[in-house]
Amino acid sequence: MANTQEEQQKLLHLRKQIFITGYKGGMAHLASCYSCLEMVYALYCKGILRFDATNPKWEDRDRFILSKGHAGLALYGVLMEAGLISEEMYHSYLMEDAQIGGEPCMRDCDWVEATTGSLGHGLSMGQGIAMALQMDQKDAGVYVMLGDGELEEGTVWEAVMSAPAFGLSNLVAILDCNDIQKMDFVEKTIGAPKWGEKFASFGWNVVEVDGHDMEAFTNCLLGLRETADRPTLVIAHTVKGKGVSIMEHNPNWHFKLPGRKELKVFKEELGITDAELE
Amino acid sequence: MNSAYIGKLMELAEKDSNVIHLLADSGTGYDEMFRRNFPHQIYNFGIAEENMVAAAAGMATAGKIPFVFTAGAFLAYRSMEFIRDDVCFQNLNVKIVGMGSGLSWSSLGPTHHTTEDLAVLRAIPNLMILSPATPKQVMECVQLAYEHVGPVYIRIGMNHEKEFYPEDYRMQATANDTLMDGGDLAVFVTGSILEEVHKACEMLQADGVQPKLVNVTSIKPFQPQEVVAAAQAGMPIVTVEEHNIHGGLAGVIAEEVAFAGMGARVYPIGIEDVFAAGYGNQLMVRKANGLDAEHIYRRMKEVRTNE
Repeated sequence: MANTQEEQQKLLHLRKQIFITGYKGGMAHLASCYSCLEMVYALYCKGILRFDATNPKWEDRDRFILSKGHAGLALYGVLMEAGLISEEMYHSYLMEDAQIGGEPCMRDCDWVEATTGSLGHGLSMGQGIAMALQMDQKDAGVYVMLGDGELEEGTVWEAVMSAPAFGLSNLVAILDCNDIQKMDFVEKTIGAPKWGEKFASFGWNVVEVDGHDMEAFTNCLLGLRETADRPTLVIAHTVKGKGVSIMEHNPNWHFKLPGRKELKVFKEELGITDAELE
Repeated sequence: MNSAYIGKLMELAEKDSNVIHLLADSGTGYDEMFRRNFPHQIYNFGIAEENMVAAAAGMATAGKIPFVFTAGAFLAYRSMEFIRDDVCFQNLNVKIVGMGSGLSWSSLGPTHHTTEDLAVLRAIPNLMILSPATPKQVMECVQLAYEHVGPVYIRIGMNHEKEFYPEDYRMQATANDTLMDGGDLAVFVTGSILEEVHKACEMLQADGVQPKLVNVTSIKPFQPQEVVAAAQAGMPIVTVEEHNIHGGLAGVIAEEVAFAGMGARVYPIGIEDVFAAGYGNQLMVRKANGLDAEHIYRRMKEVRTNE
């Protein structure tokens, strides 16, 4: 995998922080966080998104919307890693006087571009931002991360239809294609939709990438900035629960914390001590 | 009311290029004129109301002032979660304009009736709710919505509503208008049913009964002064609305009366927790549901008798 040793260490550290924070909080969508973590990290820490660290509302910034909001701990974790929010804010998760909860919320954090949580909202909101940027002839881009289960929401397809019609070359949808939704595999729930063909049929540019390979993902997104003449869907193939063997590609882990025996595996594989969980 | 709306919106769009006219394939009849004048300030999302509302929220985060326009039923019911989560929770500067208030879509039946919108939307924090009765009031509400930074819902009729206000009328923010000042009963009305209620009140006057007629334009925030005054004077309070008697104007006023312990009785006239009956023009459907001037007059007479 084309992630450097140093990056691997950072990602391991982030997985650990996400777990400790979620575990202490008493609930978390760990597996969903782990499938998209490399991509969210690359967006903020490998130069894909242009932003001003001193001004979250800089008008010319690129926007990122985590439409699959239940991976909020991954987004907030990366914002912490990028130095945009404090560790104190991150670790307040679900505590008394919590500053953040399980879904990204604009009320809680200036770096959140759209409050999400109810699925099927983010692409439409991102589209609206892309339209406004286009009206003002700004060069900024809008990146919206969707889950593959989320594509079952009908409103996603309203935006899939309208974005090419409005000529939004500044809009990129990133599909965290981890094959699993809350109760089961996506395929067992609604069959095997060919997402790429469907988006393409509505006029989207479609590319595929390994969502855990940060170099490939970064090059892909930076390349789009130069070439896109219409909205693009990036199908990112990922593993739900990536990084913890018993959670990987296992539909039981959508919204679950480990029991006593399972906890041993998490501690071993993420390098967590008893003291860190107290 | 549609022509009043679009006329006012064009005036705003000319002054402020951030004013954007958003449609979901159901317009005002004057949209091509708007497009000719302001081609970069109008977008038709097609038949996709939720997408339009969420996109409007996105635009507002980037400094635009979108005015979303389509049938009120498709906004208040179909798009409710998008109004709640995307617009109101973030307190974004989006204006939501629902046309065809009450029974305006009289030929199409209850799928198009907007008779629960106030109840549905009134429960959402941060949302200002305006319910103009006449074309001049529509223009004033659009101006107020533009000046108010935050989400606003405007509920407008669509069937050549009668004007009750003078040419130089200026709405006083969210204050109510007293149109008749009697002391026998206090009648509160909202929306374009004012036309029927005004007639009914004139019929009462012909009988020697002097109603106080208050037109309520701002449902939320609601100014309770006239309700307090009526309760203190011991006047029976009547509400009339082209809306379910639950959760709309009657609900607002009953809450005011009960929460403040005013001890007055509220007599609600409206759609009595049913899906409205009948088809035809708006007057025919109002009649079928007891909301034409004659029915309203008789109900108000009963109130007088009961008191």
